[in-house]
Amino acid sequence: MALTDDQVARFSRQLLVPGFGEAVQERLLSARVRVVGADGPATAALVALVQAGIGRIWVDDEGYVAPADRQGWIYAPDSVGSPRAAAAREALSPLSRHTVVEPYPAGGVPDAALVFASSAAQGIAMGEVARKAGIPHVMVEPDAEGGAVVSIPVGAPCFSCARSVAGVGRPPVAGIAGLSALAAAELLHLLAQPVGMTGRRIDVVRGVPTTHPTARSPGCACAQPAVPPSLDEGG
Amino acid sequence: MTGVAAPARLDVRADACPMTWVKTRIALGRLAAGDRLEVLLSPGEAAESVPRSAAEDGHRVVALDDLGPAEGVRLVLEKADGGEAAWP
Repeated sequence: MALTDDQVARFSRQLLVPGFGEAVQERLLSARVRVVGADGPATAALVALVQAGIGRIWVDDEGYVAPADRQGWIYAPDSVGSPRAAAAREALSPLSRHTVVEPYPAGGVPDAALVFASSAAQGIAMGEVARKAGIPHVMVEPDAEGGAVVSIPVGAPCFSCARSVAGVGRPPVAGIAGLSALAAAELLHLLAQPVGMTGRRIDVVRGVPTTHPTARSPGCACAQPAVPPSLDEGG
Repeated sequence: MTGVAAPARLDVRADACPMTWVKTRIALGRLAAGDRLEVLLSPGEAAESVPRSAAEDGHRVVALDDLGPAEGVRLVLEKADGGEAAWP
């Protein structure tokens, strides 16, 4: 299926990025991405995924918009107190007619996942769900200095192997939007080049990124091939 | 250089930058390495930038003919071996 003239015009600048092209844009437009967590820190990534032309974004967040979420990019003052997934859909849908934004449907099978976990336990659980489902995923770990983004292509060392020993936290630090957008870029990278990618971790300290290949912890179960379970686990 | 056969043809004379190169790049992406693409361009900026961008992407400029003010410029490209450059 070739891109329509409308799609070519909409994504013209992106189509010129090295590594992109018609086939990759078509892949993005047909992709379903589950975004776990939609509070303030996740909003820059959500906007970036919509603007990049992800076909369907499933917002997986059962919380409600808090006053602190308004530090992000999408929540209007009158959305405070409303369900985050619905508020995110309302804010993001007008940005592009090429993307459907909706709350995560129970049992939905995504092509990739982006995880802004609210705790270390949720991050590990969601990373494991994505690994077992055999889908590429990106994990975001904000911290007081900036944070880290962990890219996990299929078969790469899992989040438990690659995560920060400090765990996941989400203080309202300056630069969180940059970390969030970096996570979206990493997810697009995994969708654009699904074969031959290796896991990597990008640590951002006061705005300075450093990239490291991830390594598997001895004896970790992620060395075994994934067996897809129900994707409702850990949600 | 004239008289080079080009099995695929693209007319972007009604388009402006960056769409001239975007459409050319997409058309090249649909071809196999070694295949040729004939592109009709408007004189001026497009006739300068599209061949340059194609060459920067590794494709071979086989022909670039001025067909006159009414017809524009005829560019023939040969698609390079290998895929697109990967992201870092």
